[in-house]
Amino acid sequence: MSTMRLATRNLQRSPRRTLLTMSAVIAGVGVFILGEGFVSGLTENILVAAIQGTVGHVLARPADYPVQGGQHPVDKLLTITPATRSLLDKESVAWTTRTYFAPTAASGADALRAVAIGYDPARDEAVFPRDQWKIRGAMPGANEDAVAVSHRIARLLALEVGSRLILQVRTHQGAMNALDVAVSGITTTSNPALDSLGIFVPGPLTHKLLATDLPSHISVKLRSRAAAFPFATQLAAALGPQASVVTWQDETEEMIRIQNVRRRALDLVMAILMALAAFGIVNTVLMAAYERVREIGTLRSLGMTERGVLKLFISEGLLIGLVGSLLGAAWGAGLTYYWSVHPIDFSKTMEQTGGSYSASSLVYTRLSLEVVLVTIGLGVLVSALASIYPARVASRMVPADAVRAV
Amino acid sequence: MPICEIHNLSKVYGTGPARVEALKHITLTIEKGEFSVFCGPSGSGKTTLLNHIGCLDAPDEGELSLDGVATRKLDSRALSALRADKIGFIFQSFNLIPVLSAQENVELALELANKPGDHAAAARKTLAQVGLAGLENRRPNQLSGGQQQRVAIARALVKEPLIVIADEPTANLDSDNGEQVISIMERLNAELGTTFLISSHDARVIAHARRIVMLRDGEIVKDEQREKTERAS
Repeated sequence: MSTMRLATRNLQRSPRRTLLTMSAVIAGVGVFILGEGFVSGLTENILVAAIQGTVGHVLARPADYPVQGGQHPVDKLLTITPATRSLLDKESVAWTTRTYFAPTAASGADALRAVAIGYDPARDEAVFPRDQWKIRGAMPGANEDAVAVSHRIARLLALEVGSRLILQVRTHQGAMNALDVAVSGITTTSNPALDSLGIFVPGPLTHKLLATDLPSHISVKLRSRAAAFPFATQLAAALGPQASVVTWQDETEEMIRIQNVRRRALDLVMAILMALAAFGIVNTVLMAAYERVREIGTLRSLGMTERGVLKLFISEGLLIGLVGSLLGAAWGAGLTYYWSVHPIDFSKTMEQTGGSYSASSLVYTRLSLEVVLVTIGLGVLVSALASIYPARVASRMVPADAVRAV
Repeated sequence: MPICEIHNLSKVYGTGPARVEALKHITLTIEKGEFSVFCGPSGSGKTTLLNHIGCLDAPDEGELSLDGVATRKLDSRALSALRADKIGFIFQSFNLIPVLSAQENVELALELANKPGDHAAAARKTLAQVGLAGLENRRPNQLSGGQQQRVAIARALVKEPLIVIADEPTANLDSDNGEQVISIMERLNAELGTTFLISSHDARVIAHARRIVMLRDGEIVKDEQREKTERAS
């Protein structure tokens, strides 16, 4: 009869009590794995949305370009020299230019201020993949006087594929310009930065509207995320003082900081749940020790050492922790896995809050084996530590007194 | 041949007004194969004395040696090893582990004593010796009081201890079961030569004793060897 087997039998005496004690471990471990999966998934979604939606691995824009407030001035734009072009061609997997501007979009009596993305039809998709996009209609042809609008603009201006839209804008030189264009497609990108008030304008039409072919942004896709940092330095040197060059990390720093706050809050929840579990285990094992005084005396009379009694009671706490942690990991990892395959759609919430940040509204959780194993280990460790005190109480009972306890 | 020698053993419990001298300068020798009964009124010190012989309690004064080993200076671990190897206990309330079957209760004694060999077979054999063949898989709550006490006897004997200490073994049994328990202990004492030290008020138990040690107020007031004819009468 090994200590573990005896401990298992002892835990079966009061299944309801064992299960109740275990429930805090089950909750703590499961919540942590799920929360960690959610936070990690959200972090990755933020990065992917930025890299694949608005930034790329490296982004260049005019120096002093306003990064907040939805302003997209076109008075200062980037000039790409042959040396810069050669660097981009040589070092990148793909690169593209975009010109962001803020036209007034009008349809009938309705008008609103939008964010237009003048993109290079030949290059844009290589840097910003559209495989997750849903497009009703089609993206406009390179030389068409047509645009694709986000589903939100389509809804606000009551646009359908084939509708007409007037874009009114200040040109690069400051003159007013307006064009009547067709709506060729209505897009849903699941990226609030693009879905909020975005209009996709092909390059040639952008040139016509702004009276310039200079871009406001250069986005570069590299072999890896890590390659962004050295390349950003090279690109900054090539573009000179006209441009400010940032990496995907710079652009997502603030969001990641928020994520880290969320992660700390999650750690706190986990710590609270684990503390509750530890109190539960101390209580259960201590109660078991006082209920089984005579048995402890009997075991001691049979030759079980103090250490043996200590091991027996710690094993009971350990088993509660192990089974609780495994059950917690099962539901936590199960749900995390499910949502890592079937994303949670936050598009409605994001739309209601009017978010215009770059993050996918389809949140995939991220299941990490390391997190699962560490959390199980933590659950077991906390349980084992929590049972030390009651186990010591049990092991220090005087055999002569214990054996005759009523 | 003495297997237990006690010299000038004293034990005091409590302090101040609650101070009780449980044992007062006890000197006693126990020979191998004895079937001795320790009797006396409640509080006379018989259980305390057996606890000391069984290494469950430590004396304040005096010496106690078991199989030539002086126990007074042994630490808790060594005392546990001594109990596991040399002493079997039978208690008034049986003290079986309720989550274990009869067989497992008996095997547990062998495991804690680290005895070599087939524990399951040894446990089965000993249970058969006490008349419990076929009941090996029953848990204590599925056995009668008499059967439980027989499991306790098997548990005490399976490791072939030097001494079996039985504290009021018949006190919780009816007369039939009490008789059975006494005769099993007597038979095993005769067959195996195991030393039995029994504390009891029970006249039936005392009637079977070959030695009667009477205690009162922590002192031995009578130590009497009896012949078989005396016991029969």
